[in-house]
Amino acid sequence: MRGDYSLKDELTRIIDSGQKLGAEYVEVRAQRLFRTVITSKDSRIEVVRKGIENGAAIRVLVNGAWGFASNGTLEPKQLMDSVSEACRMAKAASLRVKEPAKLADIKTIEARVTIKPKANPKEVPTEKKINMLLAEDKIIFDCDKNVKSCTINYLDISGTNYFANSDKTYIEQDKLYLYLSTVVWAREADKLALGSDVVGYTTGFEVFETETPEKIGRRAAMRSLDQLKAKTPKGGTYPAIIGPQIIGVFAHEAFGHLAEADLTLAGSVLIDKLGKKVGSEIVNIVDDGTIEGAIGTYKYDDEGVPAQKTPLIKNGEIVGLMHNRETAQKYGTKPTGNARAEDFRYEPIIRQRNTYFTKGDRSFEEMLEDIKLGYYIKNYRGGQANLDGTFQVGVQEAHEIVNGELGASVRNVSFSGNTLETLYRVDAVGKDFELNVGVCGKGQAAFCGAGGPHTRVKEVLIGGGA
Amino acid sequence: MAELKPEDLINFGKKAINVATKKGANEAEAFLSEILSTTVNIERGQIAKNMRKKDQGLGIRVVCNKSVGFSYTNVLTDKSIEQTAIEAFHTAKASKPDKNWGGFSSPKRFSSTQNAYDKKLVALSSDELVEIASIMLNEAASFDNRVFVAEGSVETHVSSRTVVNSYGVEAFDEGTRIDCGLATIAREGQEVTPICQEFNAERVYKIDPKWIGKEAAKKAISSLKARKIESGDLTVVFDQVALYLLLYFTFINAIKADQVQRKQSALEGKIGEKIASELVTIYDDGLMANGLQTWKFDCEGVPCQKTPIIEKGVLRHYLYDCYTANKDGVQSTGNALRAGFGAQYMLTPIIQATNFTLTSGSKSPEDLIKDVDNGILVQFLQGAHSSNPSSGEFSVVATPAWKIEKGEIAYAVKGAMLAGRIFDVLNNVSALGNNMRKIEQLVAPWITSEKVRVIGK
Repeated sequence: MRGDYSLKDELTRIIDSGQKLGAEYVEVRAQRLFRTVITSKDSRIEVVRKGIENGAAIRVLVNGAWGFASNGTLEPKQLMDSVSEACRMAKAASLRVKEPAKLADIKTIEARVTIKPKANPKEVPTEKKINMLLAEDKIIFDCDKNVKSCTINYLDISGTNYFANSDKTYIEQDKLYLYLSTVVWAREADKLALGSDVVGYTTGFEVFETETPEKIGRRAAMRSLDQLKAKTPKGGTYPAIIGPQIIGVFAHEAFGHLAEADLTLAGSVLIDKLGKKVGSEIVNIVDDGTIEGAIGTYKYDDEGVPAQKTPLIKNGEIVGLMHNRETAQKYGTKPTGNARAEDFRYEPIIRQRNTYFTKGDRSFEEMLEDIKLGYYIKNYRGGQANLDGTFQVGVQEAHEIVNGELGASVRNVSFSGNTLETLYRVDAVGKDFELNVGVCGKGQAAFCGAGGPHTRVKEVLIGGGA
Repeated sequence: MAELKPEDLINFGKKAINVATKKGANEAEAFLSEILSTTVNIERGQIAKNMRKKDQGLGIRVVCNKSVGFSYTNVLTDKSIEQTAIEAFHTAKASKPDKNWGGFSSPKRFSSTQNAYDKKLVALSSDELVEIASIMLNEAASFDNRVFVAEGSVETHVSSRTVVNSYGVEAFDEGTRIDCGLATIAREGQEVTPICQEFNAERVYKIDPKWIGKEAAKKAISSLKARKIESGDLTVVFDQVALYLLLYFTFINAIKADQVQRKQSALEGKIGEKIASELVTIYDDGLMANGLQTWKFDCEGVPCQKTPIIEKGVLRHYLYDCYTANKDGVQSTGNALRAGFGAQYMLTPIIQATNFTLTSGSKSPEDLIKDVDNGILVQFLQGAHSSNPSSGEFSVVATPAWKIEKGEIAYAVKGAMLAGRIFDVLNNVSALGNNMRKIEQLVAPWITSEKVRVIGK
């Protein structure tokens, strides 16, 4: 095993020092990351940003309270200061702790995770990335004269994370993220519309040979152009077929957050539902950190726990939650590898990975047949959930369903409801499957995958129509 | 605040610029930011975490033949700064020229700001922050046994910004801020309320943790026994948080010059036209005393200022940075901000509102409610970020919200949605409160708007 031995020694010294200061647990995460961001706006390159971020975060547990200190440096002396700072912070909090935090045991791991993509984005010339954006931009403007504006953001992150803790785990893990977001504005007379598309991977730059700028650009452009023809929907409750992208957002926002054990314990509606039925028997939801190349995939989480595939709902029953070591201990179960930190500036918290509905056996046409008047909800703009299970998903692409057939496009739609009520109303699950990409904000940002098959719901509240 | 003195930061900036211009850059601009934050987190009804975060870095924009490159580092050594400046030069060379590029800012006098920095906040120890958090927590927990504290935090920030450019701008400013907030829910039988929040956000040490705890608890209790309501066009009273979410994701975008120039805004070509009720007057004031977004200069070194946006319903001005101002042949309004994912030094400027101020009315919040015959009071909007920033269309869940009947709060409302266009909401404003309050980029009172589409059951 090859590794960064001098840094490993340094991290070990910091852990020793934390333990001497009275910490029952010490963890150090260090990073050396490189980032490239390119933004194009209306056929011009606004800026190319490249940079280096080094830093370390130290987390300690003293008498059951957490202390945390992060610093944008890898200087040994400053890191030593950080560990005593973290211990001081923890001691200040520990005076008020009623229920001390304890951590579930995990296996000690020593590992070096290397990523060797065909085309490492760090080695791909900047000119090539710029040309890819400009090619996509041209395709978008060539789609239609009503396309008025377009912003494309490209991001790659590469580098290495280093993890060491007082349980003698030491992990060096390469990081690689590719992310491309496209927003297109179209206008016809007074009508303004906006369409977007997001892709993201944990693979090399070669992925853009198959997921080409042509495909991405055309998708985003068509979404905005379709909306110019769309009418606003009538608000009210209707049956709906929910497309893979939106069912993913539902899995993540409406259900997933409630099943993050920290939020469950904070009082989400799932607090007393473990082992109980919360939805119709055909509902199955999984949070999976092992899908190769997907944006929410990694080998080890930021507490040194291996990522895994975690079933959350099986045949309508809650079978699991997403845990870190602290919540796993509280529930008397095993950590699921969901602890992640955006970067060295943040502490690890419970995050979703790739969260999705598993497939069923129905075809799209079969699901359409039975709907007299309803909606096909296809593409999302954003979503948000509340601990009481109220969710909202904003939609950028939707169609009416009239007498079992797809009808006119509708705009400015969103749908809302109560998560558990909606899970009970799922009455058909498609046999297709698609996984999409999002950036989730929970005080810090995380790349997450989300998806599923086309899914039919007997009734949702459609809000829209100005 | 930190180990670095203002003159050190300015010298780092100068060093970066010298390297870039020696390489052959036409112009260069260095931006440095430092942040030191201390946070106490409340989790599951107890104080659980105490955190200290420190980060600083330099970003440099380099222009060669009107093409822009940028590079940043958080390793502040001479060697690293030199490499960063060279990298920025190379990315500019790799990029494409932009015929509208109009140059960085030139030196101007800055106005002074009031109450943007407080030594007392810098001196607060983590023990004192823990104490503030416990007061807030205990107040909420002892209010009613149906109340649960879902989460909360007390956080202080000390931060600085430095801008140096090849036209002679050399600017340094620092600021402080304290944020205390508590999120509660109430449970009774099978019923769980939505999250209810209360907070203080100030630039100086002036907070009331007892009040926060009590109000957050009170809100949760009054959200119990929520009922669905019938759909209809109702009068809506927006609390500042709900109003902020709505404006931030719709209207504030529509007045950013880049969105206007790029034909993404419904307000393109509408300067001088009436776009809102006569009651509505809005200005963006980057120099407001004690304002959460108050700085002497923006993230391009342009002096902050007070800019009229809407006067008695008439649109007066858009928000500009240097690039868009040059394109329209006007002056920057000092609205360049470095914001987004990551630290400020990693980012290039975008246009953002500062203290976006909707001027006060004369009615007390009680009077606003008394005037409503059939309507709702809304304190938070779920899903506001999914609004359409171009057309101003929104479709969101109002939660928590309360039904108002015959001038009185009748009961909590469950899962009602609001849909419409922001421009209609502003046109139909019928009353303004006198309870000015600041939240992020907004300073405003409660407002009442008529005929908002509410989708109930």
